[in-house]
Amino acid sequence: MALYFGDLLPFSSLLLEGLWTALYITLVAMVAGSALGVFLYLGKVGPGKAVSIFCTCYIEAIRNTPLLVQLYLIYFALPALGINLEPIWAAVIGLTLNNAAYTAEIYRAGFESVPHGLREAGKALGMKNAQIVRYIVLLPATRNVFPALTNQLILLFLASSIGSIISLPELTNAIMSVSNTTYRTIEVLAVGGLLYLGVSALLSLASKRAETTLFRWAVGARV
Amino acid sequence: MTVIFVENLNKKFGPNHVLKGVDCHIREREVVCVIGPSGSGKSTFLRCMNGLESITSGSIVINKHRLDDSKTNINLVRQEAGMVFQHFNLFPHLKVIDNVMLAPLKVAKANKDEARAKAEMLLAKVGLAEKMEAFPGSLSGGQMQRVAIARALAMDPKIMLFDEPTSALDPEIVGEVLTVMKDLANEGMTMVVVTHEMGFAREVADRVLFMDQGLIVEEGSPDEIFSSPRNARTQGFLSKVL
Amino acid sequence: MFRAFDWQDLIPLAKGAWLTIQLCAMSGILGVIFGLILGIARTSPSRIARWISTIYISCVRGIPILVIIFFIFFGIPLLFPGLELDKFTSAVIALTCFAAAYVAEIVRGSIEAVSRGQSEAADALGLNYWAKLRYVVMPQARKIMVPPGVGFIIGLVKDSSLVTVTGLVELTHAGNIVTNLTGDPIMTFLTVAAMYFVICYSISLLGRLYEKRTGIQVDPLKLPEPASV
Repeated sequence: MALYFGDLLPFSSLLLEGLWTALYITLVAMVAGSALGVFLYLGKVGPGKAVSIFCTCYIEAIRNTPLLVQLYLIYFALPALGINLEPIWAAVIGLTLNNAAYTAEIYRAGFESVPHGLREAGKALGMKNAQIVRYIVLLPATRNVFPALTNQLILLFLASSIGSIISLPELTNAIMSVSNTTYRTIEVLAVGGLLYLGVSALLSLASKRAETTLFRWAVGARV
Repeated sequence: MTVIFVENLNKKFGPNHVLKGVDCHIREREVVCVIGPSGSGKSTFLRCMNGLESITSGSIVINKHRLDDSKTNINLVRQEAGMVFQHFNLFPHLKVIDNVMLAPLKVAKANKDEARAKAEMLLAKVGLAEKMEAFPGSLSGGQMQRVAIARALAMDPKIMLFDEPTSALDPEIVGEVLTVMKDLANEGMTMVVVTHEMGFAREVADRVLFMDQGLIVEEGSPDEIFSSPRNARTQGFLSKVL
Repeated sequence: MFRAFDWQDLIPLAKGAWLTIQLCAMSGILGVIFGLILGIARTSPSRIARWISTIYISCVRGIPILVIIFFIFFGIPLLFPGLELDKFTSAVIALTCFAAAYVAEIVRGSIEAVSRGQSEAADALGLNYWAKLRYVVMPQARKIMVPPGVGFIIGLVKDSSLVTVTGLVELTHAGNIVTNLTGDPIMTFLTVAAMYFVICYSISLLGRLYEKRTGIQVDPLKLPEPASV
């Protein structure tokens, strides 16, 4: 069979709109989810026993079930309770709730990986616990979680394709509808795949750049 | 005047009995070196003195603060007893000068200009005036340890605790740290130094404590300990390290 | 028109779960085999081997698995007319393609985590590349691979839910069918979620048990990132 990409040209704006939707829900879910993740993390390690158990259960429940099933529950099950959601909101809510659990675990690992000696040095200088967290632990911990968070952003972008299954018109959905109209399945999958690949590569490049500019102090540091 | 009283100090880590009744009095301006084999409890002993390890039983009084009293504000004690760690524990995200200024600003609530002037003075004293704006990651081990000493001195401690300050350093740069410590001793700082540097102990210490298996087995002037140790364990240890 | 969700509906769901397990076992084993080859190639002294594996790994990690599934399911019959693949085989191929790239990253990360000193010591003893890999590097890397490997298997189970788009009746698709029968998506998908949870959580418990028994302890941030959300 011969490949022919010309048939796709009329649909380029459809594909780009799909890409834009994918990026949009990714960014919203990343910002909202990583903020929610802070509360989940604090709840989990905080003093309240009931809150801690709830947060742990939430994190484990999300991390041990597929995102698709979570989206189904939001998109199909909420209407049964009388709450109707547009696909885009179902996707945003689903990705946010999902992302929060993963970022909470990233924060935990990040804080745990700050060397114990730094806290001790703070204590030996007479600093209070809150001061130790604020002035000594926070920045090294942020630096430690940064690569994991940007990786999570890319994973989230790729996961946004799952929105197509609940008929959200993002990139994968656009790919499949172009394929159904033009029958140029291989071609449109290749183009779509390249779009995904290009954006993930850009995101990864940008985060590496951001890491070196944001954390210049970490060059050569044993954190 | 005695500034450190340690009486019948016991420390257990679970089933591990690490300190088995340590008694020790240290006077103002005295330099005490603690030597002994690894696992003898000497680091734990030092860490108990500023509350980094809790006490299982016994009592410690530092500058009239009782460490075994839960009403004692441990952070006040820590301001009066500076500590230098084996692995430096510099804050990697802060420049050298900010490492030194952090505690004066946040704990002692010092004025920023004063804190800076003092930090500059201390860094000059340890020979690192030109590294003020560098991040710790770019320093050598010896330089990091000298910054750590300046950082501890910035709180105007009355006592300095050193936990094997040269053990993580290359042999050729041990000297630069020991020189700074010697100067400090000559200025009259009260110092407790856990160390493997027998030369330093012999030259600088007023008194040497030999610890083994959680007890102070023998103590005396450097001459007594190094030239004519009485205890068989001290003799055995010294014959291996000297 | 609908009947209520009842215990009978557990039977198709359990069948779906069993198919999910088979699917993951097959593609997991194949993924580990190809992933080992790719991962070793990724760190090999041969430049061509490094290039090929790097390109493959970056491509698969930069494209959603859903797109890969579509590509295998719709693209292969177009590229190779006459090649008839059943749904299960297509799904196994798609998940294997995906799994191999992630396993390769875990293998690479673990090989690199074995200290350079170990590798140099082996070189100094005059071991050749394969002997070094076989007797010095891999035995140590194998331990480091366990924690991220467990995360990878759990990710595979979760990602296998996406082959539902091909019509293969695995657990999630079984959930769709039961929902159409009962009109009760809440009970159905809560049950489906619970079944996934049991599968995934058992895997992570087994992993933890293994780590405890072998005394493996690794810094979570120093390792290749989790395979999926």
